[in-house]
Amino acid sequence: MSLLSAEGLVKEFGGLRAIDELSVSVEEGELVGVMGPNGAGKSTFFNCVSGVVPPDDGTVTLKGTDVTGDSPESLAHRGLVRTFQNTRELETMTVRDNVRLAAPDQPGERTLPALLRSGSMTEREEAVRGRADELIEMFELDHLADEYSSNLSGGQRKLLELARTLMLDPDVLMLDEPFAGVNPTLTREIADHIRDLNENGMTIVIIEHELETLTELVDRLVVLQQGRLLVEGDPEVVLEDERVIEAYLGGDAE
Amino acid sequence: MNVLDRLPSGHGDRALIAGVVCLLVGALFALTPLRVQLPSAFYVFVEVGILFVIYGILVLGLDLQYGHTGLVNFGHVVFFAVGAYATAMLSAQDTFAGIGLGYPWPLGLAVGVIAAAILGAAVSLTSIRLRGDFLAIVTLATAEIFHSVFVNFEDIFGGNVGILGVPRPIAALVADGDTRLVATLLVLGGVTLLTLAVVTRLTEAPYGRVLRAIRADELVTRSVGKSTITYKTQAFVYGAALAGLAGGLFALYNGAVAPGFFTIQVTVTIWIGMLLGGAANHRAVLAGLAIIMGLRLVSRFALGVTPISGDVFASARLIVVGLILIAVIRYRPAGIWGDPRELGVDQ
Amino acid sequence: MGLLQELIFGLVTGSYIAIAAIGFTLIYGIVNMINFAYGEYLTLGAFIGFLAANALPGPLPVAVVAAMIGGGIVSIVLARGFFTPINHTGPVPMLLTSIGLGIALRNAIRLVGGRSARYFETETATFRFDAIPDVPVGPVDLLGGFFVTSEHLIVIGSAVAVFVSIHALLTRTDVGIAMRAMGDDESLARVRGIDTQLIRDSVWVLAGVLAGLAGVLMAVQTNVSADTGFSHILQILSAAILGGAGSPYGAILGAYVIGLVLAVSTAFLPSSMTGLSSAMAFVILIAVLLVKPSGIAGTEVREA
Repeated sequence: MSLLSAEGLVKEFGGLRAIDELSVSVEEGELVGVMGPNGAGKSTFFNCVSGVVPPDDGTVTLKGTDVTGDSPESLAHRGLVRTFQNTRELETMTVRDNVRLAAPDQPGERTLPALLRSGSMTEREEAVRGRADELIEMFELDHLADEYSSNLSGGQRKLLELARTLMLDPDVLMLDEPFAGVNPTLTREIADHIRDLNENGMTIVIIEHELETLTELVDRLVVLQQGRLLVEGDPEVVLEDERVIEAYLGGDAE
Repeated sequence: MNVLDRLPSGHGDRALIAGVVCLLVGALFALTPLRVQLPSAFYVFVEVGILFVIYGILVLGLDLQYGHTGLVNFGHVVFFAVGAYATAMLSAQDTFAGIGLGYPWPLGLAVGVIAAAILGAAVSLTSIRLRGDFLAIVTLATAEIFHSVFVNFEDIFGGNVGILGVPRPIAALVADGDTRLVATLLVLGGVTLLTLAVVTRLTEAPYGRVLRAIRADELVTRSVGKSTITYKTQAFVYGAALAGLAGGLFALYNGAVAPGFFTIQVTVTIWIGMLLGGAANHRAVLAGLAIIMGLRLVSRFALGVTPISGDVFASARLIVVGLILIAVIRYRPAGIWGDPRELGVDQ
Repeated sequence: MGLLQELIFGLVTGSYIAIAAIGFTLIYGIVNMINFAYGEYLTLGAFIGFLAANALPGPLPVAVVAAMIGGGIVSIVLARGFFTPINHTGPVPMLLTSIGLGIALRNAIRLVGGRSARYFETETATFRFDAIPDVPVGPVDLLGGFFVTSEHLIVIGSAVAVFVSIHALLTRTDVGIAMRAMGDDESLARVRGIDTQLIRDSVWVLAGVLAGLAGVLMAVQTNVSADTGFSHILQILSAAILGGAGSPYGAILGAYVIGLVLAVSTAFLPSSMTGLSSAMAFVILIAVLLVKPSGIAGTEVREA
């Protein structure tokens, strides 16, 4: 049984089908890349799977449970976490707060423990702060830990996002264009982190336009075009495929 | 380093202690034969001070809703009014018009808070998903509807005259005018300080982190597993409940409630105080409110000194107030003491 | 007074609310802000009209034109001074600024204009129709003798003229078509080469002209005071949202619905409670925002 699978997903916007009977499945431990020219439906696919937008038709299954149309917060609790392409997020909080926020099961997030400053709250907060510091160090952001995230570069924000998602200890990590607008050095760093995470057992799905890095990184490549699955398989094989070359030359090539 | 060192405990705890002290001293004046002599020049200060501490509870509630969670509530006065009217109607003994049930005042106060909270829940459950400026309009319209209802249903709410004969617990205990004023200021001020302590505790805990994250970007906050609707609703209801408390206390201080005390001017005063001081900073919003009410004080003094009519002064003061709001938003959107990085504004 | 008479009043109210609501909703659709100072634009129009009527020779239409010109000028000057510089800050800061501006303007007018209300001296002809049966239903007369004044007809006539002109503007002129394009999708409009600041300025002028007209018509019907416009701002806003924020045609429809509701509730409410009829407009407003925020024909106002 796949860890995450989407079957027959359909989503329409104003009469246009952004995704059309799309079925993609991801096995545990895989590192899958999703690519396609602009308008192929990659973002919509991500949004439907991660609960941001409910699909018009089709199902999404996570660890054997039907999670179609579930909210983003409910999916996060079930082990599916995603990052966002636009890095405007949580700019009014420091790096530390950004990461600490994501920790699950915080008694201090409920009114009564917060007001009473209960023992369970302080204990958990202590643990959360420790873990957050660990992750910040792992992603080499410790010198920026007390900076507001609006002061970070694009690449640093991507690293921050990765650190934040790891607080949740996800089963499936969905990354939305993790290399967009990032300089080559940081790109390599981010790619290394992704590879490490996958080698330690995390299932990862990535949307990217940065094809060189993507194809080096992933086990399997899924190519979308006009909301449908065009081809999927081994990266080298897929890239040689005529249909893929055609799709990119005909559409928006990167 | 132990846990207690790492957790914040500064001004919130000091406010708690100060609040308890004020309550105790106020109780002392109220319950014992201890007396105070107040020079008559100070009367104005104490009276405006009492209004300031009552409005202070309002501004702290609004800061929780807007400063911390980003909810644009432009009808805050309605929760103040509902709390006041509920308390008044439940405890008034000899009201000329409208309903007065004569129950003990603590019950009236409790019902006032609950009524305001219920209205807050109703508004937030229906409107919390609306875009900022539209939520502002819905809340504003709600306030206008209630104002209209209070004025028009004379048999129930007393019309323009309102509900009279509301018990005044401190006045009942203290015959001497000066001491009564001071005791009232201390007791109500104590409540405000306690409110400050409570709100500070809430927002310094991880709870506050979630609120601020919601204000920053709700979708991202949901994606890390937080049920943002729950938090937004809670913040709104807590703010409404606080306003209801302020309303109940006002009724018990004033001895009467009438629509004239609950106009959009109150909402505007609170908003300008919050923005001027610096939203999301509890002490700053109180300071900002103090400045705005200081203006009121200044115009009262000037009124006594110059030959210009009260109406002219009121209008002039309101022009200044409107211009301050415009200026703050344009030139200092984080207010005097607010943190522009916290609020995501250019300053 | 019978329901029929109230409906006539409702038609008149709906007419000047409609004129104002078109301007208000255009500001919302194209400048992307709720202008809470708009009521004051109406008040200023009323005052300019009143001063013109007393100072200038000639019939009422001269004063009306003066009010329209004055309204347009006031609007663009205020926009340039207060709103254009903060265009980039978003709908909430702009709404708050307009609230502050409204307070300042209202009280400045009160200071300068005084507290008492002024009345237009106009010669009105009244057309009475007394031979109609009352048709009572409970405490309310459905029909009954009614009257229509020449002022009523002027207001309704002006409104119709405005609707026709606006339609022509939006469909046949470059400016109007550009306005619609911007209202639909601003970035797309910019890409197509439309000078968005110029269009925004045009919208301010147009909205000001409409506010001036509505204000003076309102003042002829009621009176001129510092509160003339503000007392109607929530009705104007309700009309705009009911019709779908941003849509001028929807605003017209919304305004007449509001006028109708006001009329019906005034007719049916006991006389001690007629103050509630304006609360009715707000109830409708809330109901619309909760049930169908896009109104009769408009854009989404909920967050994602």
